Amino acid sequence: MHIVDGALSNPVVIGGAVAAAGGIALGLKTLDLDRFPTAGVLSASFFVASLIHVPIGPSSVHLILNGLAGLLLGWAAFPALFVGLLLQAVFFGFGGLTVLGVNALNIALPAVLAWLLFGRLIGRGSPVQGAVWGGLGGAFAIAGTTAMVAAALALSGEAFLPAAKLVFFAHIPVMAIEAVLTGFAVLLARKVKPELFVRGIAA
Amino acid sequence: MKRLLLIAALASAPLPAAAHKVIAGVFPSGDAIEGELGFSNGDMAADAEVIVTGPDGTELGRTRTDSDGFFTYVPTTPVAHSFHANLGAGHVAEVTMPAEDVARILGAAPPAAPAPAAPGEAPSPTGSALGAAERQAIAEAVRDEVRPLRREIAAYREHNDLQSILGGIGYIVGLFGLGFYLAARRKLAG
Repeated sequence: MHIVDGALSNPVVIGGAVAAAGGIALGLKTLDLDRFPTAGVLSASFFVASLIHVPIGPSSVHLILNGLAGLLLGWAAFPALFVGLLLQAVFFGFGGLTVLGVNALNIALPAVLAWLLFGRLIGRGSPVQGAVWGGLGGAFAIAGTTAMVAAALALSGEAFLPAAKLVFFAHIPVMAIEAVLTGFAVLLARKVKPELFVRGIAA
Repeated sequence: MKRLLLIAALASAPLPAAAHKVIAGVFPSGDAIEGELGFSNGDMAADAEVIVTGPDGTELGRTRTDSDGFFTYVPTTPVAHSFHANLGAGHVAEVTMPAEDVARILGAAPPAAPAPAAPGEAPSPTGSALGAAERQAIAEAVRDEVRPLRREIAAYREHNDLQSILGGIGYIVGLFGLGFYLAARRKLAG
């Protein structure tokens, strides 16, 4: 999911960085005192989630958890995920510093989109209904990220459809796992701390 | 639907999905450059095309990796060799061998060539003067012995230990704590 240094053409890298900076600025504006701890916790979970490898067949996949971050934070997911990505790049060498903007955009924008689409629905109805929407949102964010990665590669000259298919199919297991995880996280939060999502709608 | 799922499962199975960290290494091997390509989860890049370029970007040649991710390339000019491979889905491997290492390989190559011409005088009982063929055999044996170690070191370097994970979390806590403090100060002032 992390694109590495040197895989993308310069216009894509610069465009991604500019767009990511815009998203981060927007996110910081919405990040008020009450949501700072949430953002920190989700940033830390995102940072660690990529290290948890789930073996599937001969390969293994890792969690991303961008859907959960988006659903809980809205635009504030941008700075939270950016911090996680930055530290992953510095500590583990995932991705790289020059492509940080593109990676942040690829991971945070689908998260925000998931929030725009499903954020309202999660706070409504019974907790179980909210959890189902949350699961859908989690899977949607991963699917969106695979599409963004494929698009970034396509803009750099790789054929879009093969690249998109490759990334998308490889992440089907992740989508399933994240859907379940996000669903349960939403279910728990709805039961224990329902105002988490009510405020998310107001913001 | 079932068939679609099966196709999806088959398509997703052999992909190094999460192996987003590419490992690439090159080292001198007799008169050739030997290298390996793989992912940090242990999957090797089989049958990948490696493009060899000089320092000015001109293409010097191409080679392919075998099923274990190994490739060899015989250099002809003593310049820095860059090995570039696109493993798909944003995985790009790039590794360079500096000019002096290439020059050493090229310097080592000529003495090995005339060795078969003078085999009669080579086996001397003193042991200190080894024949070129023997030296070659020893070098080969040492290389084979060292190869697993090399791979282990590369894997170890990719290993994420608890300290760096905790360090990263510490940074996050500190950063968001600072943000929280700034936000709180703004709120109190306002």
